[in-house]
Amino acid sequence: MSIESFDNIYLDLSKEHGKCRFAENGLGWKPAGGGDAFTLDSSTINAAHWSRAARGFELKIFQRNSAITQLDGFQQEDLDRLTKIFSNWYGLRIDVKEHSLRGWNWGKAEFNKGELTFSVQNRPAFEIPYSEISNTNLAGRNEIAVEFAVSDGGKTNGHSGSKNKGKKASAGQDQMVEMRFYIPGTTTRKEAEGGDA
Amino acid sequence: DENGVEVKKFKRFESYKRDNQFPSKVKDMGIVLDPKNATIVLPVMGRPVPFHINTIKNASKSDEGEWSFLRINFLSPGQGVGRKDDQPFEDASAHFVRSLTFRSTDGDRYADIANQISNLKRDAVKKEQEKKDMED
Repeated sequence: MSIESFDNIYLDLSKEHGKCRFAENGLGWKPAGGGDAFTLDSSTINAAHWSRAARGFELKIFQRNSAITQLDGFQQEDLDRLTKIFSNWYGLRIDVKEHSLRGWNWGKAEFNKGELTFSVQNRPAFEIPYSEISNTNLAGRNEIAVEFAVSDGGKTNGHSGSKNKGKKASAGQDQMVEMRFYIPGTTTRKEAEGGDA
Repeated sequence: DENGVEVKKFKRFESYKRDNQFPSKVKDMGIVLDPKNATIVLPVMGRPVPFHINTIKNASKSDEGEWSFLRINFLSPGQGVGRKDDQPFEDASAHFVRSLTFRSTDGDRYADIANQISNLKRDAVKKEQEKKDMED
């Protein structure tokens, strides 16, 4: 057994699905309709997370250089095979992440390696890879605005920036362009609460 | 609560218990309204993220050239400018998602979503008020 293959997998929220193959020396993804293949050497893989995504299940791969690769479209039962692949070939455990489904907008924003994680009651609610952020600014007192790189999708010409940027925020029909956080500071908390508490 | 002595308390709420409760449409990675569960599911980096209607302040649509924007504002502390901020929070020292803005070339869809969110919000507030009146 030298190759393990999965069909109907999307790379970094690509519109087109493809075939994802794992071997001892790394993994590869090739779009079903033909085109450039993506490969990742096993020595660059640092960690892997498994979670529910919009399209089936997601295998998120963290590279040693903090880059993040998202592969979604997996079936729930693929986890067993992937666990064996990662354990036998890469000496890594796949961390299963159960996301918060509470529907709350409050929790904890944490800056982890490669991504910002917003957690609700110690469960991640969503993550933002730093590679997708184009700008951040202090929009007001205790308010941070995070702007996302969105590709123009052929709507305008030129200046779309780096090739890999803006892929994930503009993957769907609704492109996420900005997220604002309220982050209370210890010195202004009393003020922010309006002395009501 | 007509006498104004009522102390507003935070009431817990929950969108889903299990991920198989998501509407099947979330696979399209677009904004999905789920009135049955009083929830709006927003696509964030390929993940469906539920937000209960109780966390939402309002939604508005704007246009810029060929793009339409949908901005969803959430309730968070420190928003009551010049008036008493009487919104109760479970933990006002937590971090809050304050707003999310999406863009699309389909402006009619955003006008419709903004409208539906307003209706959901209105219904939720009304239901809450009715519940309160029953308790009194």
